[in-house]
Amino acid sequence: MRERILTVLIGVGFGFALSRIGFASWDEVHGMFTFSDLRLLFTFMFAVALIVPSWFVFERLGMAAWVKRSIHPGTVAGGVLFGMGWAISGACPSIGLVQLGEGQLGAIWTLVGIFAGNALYAWIHPRVFGWSTGSCLDD
Amino acid sequence: MTDPSFWPWFVGGAVLAAVPILNWAIVRRTLAVSGRFTGLVDRIRLGPTEDTDMTEADMVAALQAMTEEAFGPDAIDSDLADPTAASDAKPRPRQDSYTHVLFLLALVVGGFLATLMTGDPAITMGLDSKLFAKTFGEDPAIQALVLAGGGVLVGFGTRMSGGCTSGHGLCGLSRFQPGSALSTASFFGAGIATSFILQVMW
Repeated sequence: MRERILTVLIGVGFGFALSRIGFASWDEVHGMFTFSDLRLLFTFMFAVALIVPSWFVFERLGMAAWVKRSIHPGTVAGGVLFGMGWAISGACPSIGLVQLGEGQLGAIWTLVGIFAGNALYAWIHPRVFGWSTGSCLDD
Repeated sequence: MTDPSFWPWFVGGAVLAAVPILNWAIVRRTLAVSGRFTGLVDRIRLGPTEDTDMTEADMVAALQAMTEEAFGPDAIDSDLADPTAASDAKPRPRQDSYTHVLFLLALVVGGFLATLMTGDPAITMGLDSKLFAKTFGEDPAIQALVLAGGGVLVGFGTRMSGGCTSGHGLCGLSRFQPGSALSTASFFGAGIATSFILQVMW
C-alpha cells in the first residue's frame, strides 16, 4: 500500500514536470527533433547527466540491484519504430496521458494506438521473434 | 517558437532527473512507463498470473532447478548466484496492475494540475498545436488516424525495444546499459529523421 501511494505521488510529479517542461507539446517535440529549438534536448541531456552520479551514490549505499539491459535483436528495430511514432504523434508513452490531462483530447487516439501496438507486438513476438526484450518492471 | 511559460532547460532537467532518482530512493524501482502498458496488456491477455504470489527466493530456486534440469548443472552461471553483482540482479516481483493503472492516471492528474496552475485549462479535440494541423490537415478523422497510427508505432516499438524514454532514455542510458544506449540512439535518430521528413510536407 505504501509503495502504491508513493508511486502515485511520483506519477503526479512526473506528469506535472513533463507538462511544464513542454514535452507534451507536439510543437516542442518537433522543434527538438529538427534542432530548431534545443531547449528540450538540453533538458533531457541535463537530466541524464544529473542522474549518472546518483547511481554511483546508490551503489555506494548498497542500493544498486538493477537488471542488466543488454542488446537484443529488437533493440534497434523497436527503437526506430518508436522514434517514428513519437515524431508523428508527438507522444512517448507517458506523454499521451499528460496530454489528456492538459485537455488535448486527441491523445485518446494515441493511447488507443499505444495499447493496440503493444498488444500486437505481444501477439507477434512468440510467433515470429521470441528473444527476451527485457523490461524496466523487473527492477 | 518556445512557449515562454515552459521551464528553461536547467530547471526542467533538474526536475526531470529528480523523478527517477526519487523513484529509486523511495520505491527502489526503475521509472517505467511503456513497461506498465505491457503489464496491463498482459494482464488483459493472460489474466492474473500466479507467479506474483511467489517470493523472490522461491522464484530463483525454481528457475535454477528448471535450468539445471534442462541444461545440466554447468549451465548455472556462478556470477548470477552472486547477489552483490549489481548488473546481474535477479528480478524483483513486479508491481501489480492496479499500481500500473494508478500510475498512468497520476500522469493525467499531473498534466491537469500543471495546466490548472499555469494557464486557463482549455479542451481541444485534437492536439493543442498549429504545426500538427498544418502538417496533417484540419480534418479530425485524418488527425485521429494519424495519432492512432503513431500510437501503434509507439506501443509496438517500445515493447519490441523493451523500454521507452523513461526506462531506456533516462534510467538505462545514465547507468551505461548497452541496450538502453542503443535503443535511445535508435529512437532519437528515427525521431529526427521522421520529423525532417514531416517538415518537407508543409
